[in-house]
Amino acid sequence: MAEKTSLFEERKKRYQAAMNLEKPDRVPIRLNFSGEFITKVAGYTFQETYYDWQKNNDATRKMLEKISDLEMVIGGANLWWAALHDAVGAKYLRFAGRDLDAETMFQYVEEPYMLPEDYDDFIENPTEWIATTYLPRIHTELAEPGSYRATAGLIKGAFGLAQQLGSGAEAMASYQRDFGVVPTITGISKAPFDTLADTLRGLSGIMLDLYQRPEKVKKALEVLVPHNIFYGMATAQGDTDFPVFMPLHRGAYPFMKMEQWVEFYWPSLKQVVEGLWSNGKRTMFYAENIWTPYLEKIAELPEKSIIFHVDQTDMEKAHQVLGGRFCLSGNVPNSLLAFGKPEEVKEYVKRLLDKYARDGGFILDAGAVILDDAKEENIRALIEAGLEYGVY
Amino acid sequence: MAKDELAGAIAGLDQEKVLSLVKERLQAGVKPMELIGNLQEGMARVGDLFEEGEFFLSELILCGEIMKEAMGLLEPELAAGDRQYRGTIVIGTVKGDIHDLGKNIVVMLLRGAGYKVIDLGVDVAPEKFVQSARENETPLVAMSMLLTSAMGTMKECVQAIKESGLNTRVLIGGPIIDDKVMQFSGADYGSTIASDATKIAEKVFKTA
Repeated sequence: MAEKTSLFEERKKRYQAAMNLEKPDRVPIRLNFSGEFITKVAGYTFQETYYDWQKNNDATRKMLEKISDLEMVIGGANLWWAALHDAVGAKYLRFAGRDLDAETMFQYVEEPYMLPEDYDDFIENPTEWIATTYLPRIHTELAEPGSYRATAGLIKGAFGLAQQLGSGAEAMASYQRDFGVVPTITGISKAPFDTLADTLRGLSGIMLDLYQRPEKVKKALEVLVPHNIFYGMATAQGDTDFPVFMPLHRGAYPFMKMEQWVEFYWPSLKQVVEGLWSNGKRTMFYAENIWTPYLEKIAELPEKSIIFHVDQTDMEKAHQVLGGRFCLSGNVPNSLLAFGKPEEVKEYVKRLLDKYARDGGFILDAGAVILDDAKEENIRALIEAGLEYGVY
Repeated sequence: MAKDELAGAIAGLDQEKVLSLVKERLQAGVKPMELIGNLQEGMARVGDLFEEGEFFLSELILCGEIMKEAMGLLEPELAAGDRQYRGTIVIGTVKGDIHDLGKNIVVMLLRGAGYKVIDLGVDVAPEKFVQSARENETPLVAMSMLLTSAMGTMKECVQAIKESGLNTRVLIGGPIIDDKVMQFSGADYGSTIASDATKIAEKVFKTA
């Protein structure tokens, strides 16, 4: 127990040193596993961990037993508890066992759930609009607000979420106690543009809005800024030891041209990152796909306020523009983890660390979230290489 | 710049002008097929602009919406057998994946280039690709994928076509296509760039 506590402290110190651009004893290894990868390693079906929350939390435990030297985890396997979504009749998610085969990854059904004519009400009072219009629209059980069924649906939903969060926190505390692992992140938030584009207007909707109602888009983004800062702090329960997870979507290249990115994507995201940083909260700027054209703009953020995560962004350029200003992470290609051989993974990691981790401020990770196609032996190879070549 | 005004309006993403020109010309008795030709010329220009890095996805999506509306005006005017195609291509996102942005852009560009495109939608099973390829006697099936985890079914889809005995080439598209993925899947062609689809189709239909 005391041994695990000191292991926890050692890992936390290493992680924080890297985030603060210092040189720890060696490069920290942070792997962002999907629930599906964890489920596969644990030997469950997707259906089992989506629906049985005990198995969901056990799955991470089993992975920690099987793959030694994992330093960080996010929590139980999956983000979603399918039973909770069933209880409220979520139209936007499809799950293994309900709509899909037991071994098919969950699916998000993207539709313009918010309509162009909703903008004014949303801007006027987003929370009220979400409660009275959006939630009934996207959940069959909440379709008629005030009805017996909708009231029961709200109770089931609130109760289910409390159950999920409570057992998740307990599970995380137990991983920390038994394995000395540190949390990769505490809390989650989004770029305001992604909030609007992912779950509200959908990709086609938002892209048309940029041409057809640009002023409304900007107003909507404005009202989302304080919400997304608050959401990041609240979901972290105020913790500032670890970064908030910010998965970035529509700002990747080539969704928008530079002028649109500068006008629509960037200002509100910058405000959210700065707002979090003024609360002492660092952002894991999880830039999946390609962000090379925007590096100079990203460099405007306060020093150390983010960890810039590299997926397919030009690593050399990211290091050149952002290195020494922000901690960098990632860049081990997911296709290599899925189709490569362990020696190829090791070679890649060695090259990556030799070239970019020398001065500290670097965290070893895959480019994108690790899905179930990644081979377990390649994950082990990545960790081994990190332990071997990452020592300062 | 496009020579024709309607083609120019498509390439300039001028929705109002496109729709009013289509209506005007239809009223003046211009044949719908000729207007489709103008729209295609504009679309080809849009494809080029995307390739040159002038246009981004936001422009392609807007262009797709404008084309949809313009075709909505033209389709009721088309008599059966009016339309002539350069060939038929079957396309879909492979089973296990429901991302359709890339696929929809490729569909738009191929239609713009004059092909008849049978769009099977998303989450398409191997046998469905084979059935449609057989029914439409197409020399080219295109498969789209975003998730790396759908790679297994992508391979099954490619193999199903290969084992069907059909003389059909397979093109795979998605952001993670590289040499390793090409080798793993056994596909004939692959690209990460939407506008490559028209070039590959040209190659395939020349020899078909």
